[in-house]
Amino acid sequence: MGWLDWLRAPKRPDAVEGELFDEAFQRKLEYLAVASRRLFAGRLRAERRTRISGSGIEFADHRAYTPGDDLRALDWSVYGRTERLLVKRFEEEEDLTIAIVLDVSGSMGFGGRARFDHARRLAAAMAYVALSNLDRVTLIAVSTKVERRLPPARGKGQIFKVFEFLRGLKPGGETALAEAARTLGAELKRRGVAIVVSDLYDPAGFERGINALRYQKFEPMVIHVTDARDADPGARGDVLLVDAESGDGREVTLTPALVAKFRDAHAHWRREVEGFCKSRRVAYAPADVEGALEDQVLNLFRRSGLVD
Amino acid sequence: MEWLGLAPAQLAWTGALAGAAVVGLYLLRQRRRRVLVPFAPLWARVLEERPSARLFERLRRLLSLLLQLVLLALLVFALGDPRPAGASRRGRTTVLLLDGSASMSATDLPGGRATAAREAARRIVRAMGPDDRMLVAQMDAEVTALTPLTDDSTALEAAVTAYRPRDTGLDLSRALRFARDVLRGNAHGEVIVVGDGAYPPVAPDVTTAGAALRFVGVGRRGRNLGLTAFSARRYPLDRSRCEAMVELQSWSDRPESVVLTVSVDGAPIERARLRVAPGERVQRVIERLSGGGERLEARIAFEDGTRDDLPVDDVAYATLPERRRARVLSVGEGNRYLEAALLLDEYLEVVEATPATAAAALGQGRYDVVISDGVAVTVPPGVGWISLRPPIDGSPRPVEPGLFSAPAGGAIGFDRVDRRHPVTRFTSDLEEAHIGRVARYRLTPADRVLGSGSAGPLLVAGEREGGGRFVLFTFDVRESDVALLVSWPVMLINAIDWFAGEDGSFQSSYRTGTAWRMPVPAGEREATVETPSGRRVRVPVMEGRAVFFGAEAGFHRLHAGGSHTLVAGNLIDPDESACAPRATLSVGTTRATAPLPGRPGLRREWWVALLAAAALIVVAEWATWHRRVTV
Repeated sequence: MGWLDWLRAPKRPDAVEGELFDEAFQRKLEYLAVASRRLFAGRLRAERRTRISGSGIEFADHRAYTPGDDLRALDWSVYGRTERLLVKRFEEEEDLTIAIVLDVSGSMGFGGRARFDHARRLAAAMAYVALSNLDRVTLIAVSTKVERRLPPARGKGQIFKVFEFLRGLKPGGETALAEAARTLGAELKRRGVAIVVSDLYDPAGFERGINALRYQKFEPMVIHVTDARDADPGARGDVLLVDAESGDGREVTLTPALVAKFRDAHAHWRREVEGFCKSRRVAYAPADVEGALEDQVLNLFRRSGLVD
Repeated sequence: MEWLGLAPAQLAWTGALAGAAVVGLYLLRQRRRRVLVPFAPLWARVLEERPSARLFERLRRLLSLLLQLVLLALLVFALGDPRPAGASRRGRTTVLLLDGSASMSATDLPGGRATAAREAARRIVRAMGPDDRMLVAQMDAEVTALTPLTDDSTALEAAVTAYRPRDTGLDLSRALRFARDVLRGNAHGEVIVVGDGAYPPVAPDVTTAGAALRFVGVGRRGRNLGLTAFSARRYPLDRSRCEAMVELQSWSDRPESVVLTVSVDGAPIERARLRVAPGERVQRVIERLSGGGERLEARIAFEDGTRDDLPVDDVAYATLPERRRARVLSVGEGNRYLEAALLLDEYLEVVEATPATAAAALGQGRYDVVISDGVAVTVPPGVGWISLRPPIDGSPRPVEPGLFSAPAGGAIGFDRVDRRHPVTRFTSDLEEAHIGRVARYRLTPADRVLGSGSAGPLLVAGEREGGGRFVLFTFDVRESDVALLVSWPVMLINAIDWFAGEDGSFQSSYRTGTAWRMPVPAGEREATVETPSGRRVRVPVMEGRAVFFGAEAGFHRLHAGGSHTLVAGNLIDPDESACAPRATLSVGTTRATAPLPGRPGLRREWWVALLAAAALIVVAEWATWHRRVTV
């Protein structure tokens, strides 16, 4: 075969959609479900508590009375002792809602489909584990806005809807996690855990996106999808660096020194992300596209507040 | 410093143009490669911290431009071939003319004269001084420079090795004019001729213009008999036979007995034993040679089995035009004069028809010629038409009513005859004709009147609309005594030959060393000649003839328009056949001397150092680029 024939030969597709959630992957999910059950050992459905309502039976704490509060909730005994109006708060037992926020911006499709496929598999794994624990799971695909949403569902049987939802996603557009979080807050009535699966390449700053989720009363967790190739573009010499999302270009002479400097800057940025999450008590798990998916999922569970 | 390559002005122009191109390309900047990154803002963090690095990059790019300009300057200087001042003035400029004529293929020396000439030329090249330059050229009927003026002895020796004599004569005047032009402006010019010295006298205006003339003679003796003429033709009225004319001459110093053999298509058809005295020229016309072939070959050989010194002139070639039986349809009420004339050519296949059966006859067969004798016939396009006094409604040209008679007491005759036309060729007695009445036709400007008298045109030839030729007799042959003349059948057969495209000016052979003008089918713009050695040469066609410079004796094939014809080439040059070598050479009053060796010394060529410097820079650039120093 000549080189012309080689050029004309049809290229192998990056990933065949049918192979995204193949049998091996589904077996891996079963393993994850079992492993996560061990982590959740002793806990029953509806055991997780929130403090957002006062209609439970187990006392939690007090807060100051504000006009409009239910007078039945006033703690008269405290008033009698201290003459302060305090409202009793009770922990309400309810199903946990887990919102899996998947970044589908253009950068997630960078360098072929490996990164996006890995992120989708991570999202599917998280959803399966949650569904196995009878939690309420919803999936939200975001870029600058909420692109698509899978309504909350319960039970393992819903995993195929999750697969179908994930298969239908295509990367594109820019990243604006904060905007998407605000929309999500408005659309989703029930608050709960929000697992962000993203490369966090947000021009406005990844911090704003995570903070926005926190301000919307979500309990955010971050799966940071990373790729070692992001730190080195591979090329040298006079090049035009083009942003995968915005298409903005910048002329640069890539020297080995500059590339090394960028590599340092990239590592520093990753440390910044991790430090930010730690400081805000946000569960954080890096997930390299070349890494083992099950380890990354279990790692997040271990770091999260979902398990002790 | 002086320049032996390109002149300083040429170097300046070359450097300026190339430098402008380099700077232009630099200014245009190379289009940058697009590299996709997932998150450009991270790059912005790094790049904003390096303003000083950008300045350094600019300087580095400027350095890159300077490096390119330095490379260019080195190459341009090398093209100029700079030398230390006075180097060329000290050295000689030599034009080495190698005799490439046919006589150099003589076999009087072991390996032939050409081998001895090569050896002599190599010795001359090797004796060059460090400041000498030389140009090697082959001279025969043309002059071909085999090298430029150079001091590269390897290239010169390679050219000497490539030199091969050709089957042509020698034009020494042309070669000396060439040498004079090459040496113009050179102080120490010299012309060295290596050959057998058997040259015709040079033109009076030819001199060496101050350049020294050297001569190296090659050859030992010149016992030779050669064919100096050979031609053949078919008999016009008997195309199955031909006659050949052979001429041979002796340059031997004693009487020689030779056998002359003439062959047709390789089969000997004539053999004659001849005794030729020293210097004698013998001519033989060999008549009524039988054989229908195309290739004719004459060959001489010594009766005692020995061979002369120049084999190339012992054989000569000729071709005969293709024989083809023409189909003729004669339509009329019966004309014995016409029938008798057509019987003379046995290569005619004549079918007779009456006006009533003419159409059916034309429908049945393909005819080359239709002869209409006083009757109307519809002649198909492309078919030749001889029309003998046609009626008003069936003529190649419109007829005016009435017939014109001779004035009282006089007769109509051929007062003017155009014998350059193929139809009227060999019609010596046409002026003796007497004609009673003629018709008048309205001719077109393209028609050619071949014979006319007091009553107007008598014989007209032309081209018909829709294709085909015609010959029109404006009178009834039976009302004249034309049919009693020798010219009558000759005109008819000439006309049929003319229709068939058989050219009476057919040339049976061409002489090598000249431009051959060979007829090709009408409308062809290009032709290909295949030489006897198998070389194929594309040649132009001018005025219907392919033009080719023949330099090889033997049968050539001329390909044109999907068909091919044979063409014969012969040396036929008594000056070459007189191949006895001469020890001296004189041009005008200048007598050639032996070549002198060059002055010993050290060759100083700066271009080598310049190219080495350029190569070093390229290597350094390559290394630094790959080590990412200059990236």
